Amino acid sequence: MKRLAIILGLAVMAAGSLLLVTRPTGLPADILPAHPADISNGERLFHAGGCASCHGSTDSGSEFPILGGGLAMDTPFGIFHVPNISPHGGSGIGGWSTLDFVNAMHLGVSPDGRHYYPAFPYTSYTRMGFEDLMDLKAYLDTLPASDRRNDAHELKFPWNIRAGIGLWKLLNLDAAAVVSVPPQDSVLIRGRYLVEGPGHCGECHTPRNWTGGLDYSRWLAGAPSPEGEGKVPNITPSEKGLAGWSQGDIEYYLASGFTPDFDTVGSSMVEVQKNMAMLPAEDRAAIAAYLKAIPPL
Amino acid sequence: MLKVSLSIFLSTVFMASVAVAGSDPILERQELMEDTRDAAKVIGGMLKEEQPFDAAAAMAALETWKKTATQAGELFPEGSDSGHDTEAKATIWTDRDGFNAKLNEFSTQVDAAIAANPDSLEALNAAAGPVFKACKGCHEGYRVEKQD
Repeated sequence: MKRLAIILGLAVMAAGSLLLVTRPTGLPADILPAHPADISNGERLFHAGGCASCHGSTDSGSEFPILGGGLAMDTPFGIFHVPNISPHGGSGIGGWSTLDFVNAMHLGVSPDGRHYYPAFPYTSYTRMGFEDLMDLKAYLDTLPASDRRNDAHELKFPWNIRAGIGLWKLLNLDAAAVVSVPPQDSVLIRGRYLVEGPGHCGECHTPRNWTGGLDYSRWLAGAPSPEGEGKVPNITPSEKGLAGWSQGDIEYYLASGFTPDFDTVGSSMVEVQKNMAMLPAEDRAAIAAYLKAIPPL
Repeated sequence: MLKVSLSIFLSTVFMASVAVAGSDPILERQELMEDTRDAAKVIGGMLKEEQPFDAAAAMAALETWKKTATQAGELFPEGSDSGHDTEAKATIWTDRDGFNAKLNEFSTQVDAAIAANPDSLEALNAAAGPVFKACKGCHEGYRVEKQD
């Protein structure tokens, strides 16, 4: 009996200290470099990240994206309601400092010190540079404000316990690059940055392990669709993937939405391709070069 | 005699099956889409600079698209929503006006491309771009997603 009490006590202490170690903490205020914001670079990253595809208001017909959120994502964990990230003071992120924004993107931590669920793909955004994040925040601030109030997520037990995300981050949040490329190859480095970071391609094209984190041994090798039906294709340069696509084919697909066989882009990739088409051609070329250079799986 | 009647029987069966194939709107529109895609490959091959620019071949491909624009509307009658692995989405029949608007957009852009009579790669790019966009525009709402 006494032994059981000791074991239970130790277990509680272990769980407590793990939660303490993994509690949400932001970056120190002096970590951001002195950097005048470049709004056009922010816009470029906005398209690379496809922010509007998830956060865009479903009713928006305006010239500029209105990021009022509202999309409901029905997943095996429950329903996530995509939040308002427009620069509205009360409903959106208008009241956020640049550091608040960097903490959200780099660490998945909210201004009021809570963990975000990784449905928000900060596991990829964590690879973005601070200066790019500062530019992106400056661009978001130029967009129209929406007063749409956020809805609470409707998650099943145990995923409704936010503190548990800290443990999940310990296993799955890592800013290190996935694929190594020659340090002098600026095109591959750019392509890697766009794919592994803002583009967050791996979030759908890479399968997940039992913890819900990405299985990096199967990087971009295709996965079940997170929307429940069908499969997200393998985009590594193997026979099961893009071996039959030239680099030019990939660039043309991202720009136009047409496969080498002149079928049109489908499914969730429709929105992604529209974002990719907004990038400068050199970025699409860099993405294509990277996809031809990664390990074929 | 038996041989003759058998051959008559077989040829009748054969002709009947041809007639059925010819009058099945699903098979007809699938063939039309194949031709449309082949024409897209001709023009796309030039735009991707895999093939040299050829004004006559480009115009022939545009004329194929014109055929699509003219014929496609009649190949989606009520009741042709299943069979032959059709990728036609139910929205074609529940939102016929929307579907027709997309087809009209395609038709308008094809006519404009033919009228432009593209004589250079740049001109072809400018003429074909809106047509490609119209292809996608219709597939997005009115074609089912392939699950593979």
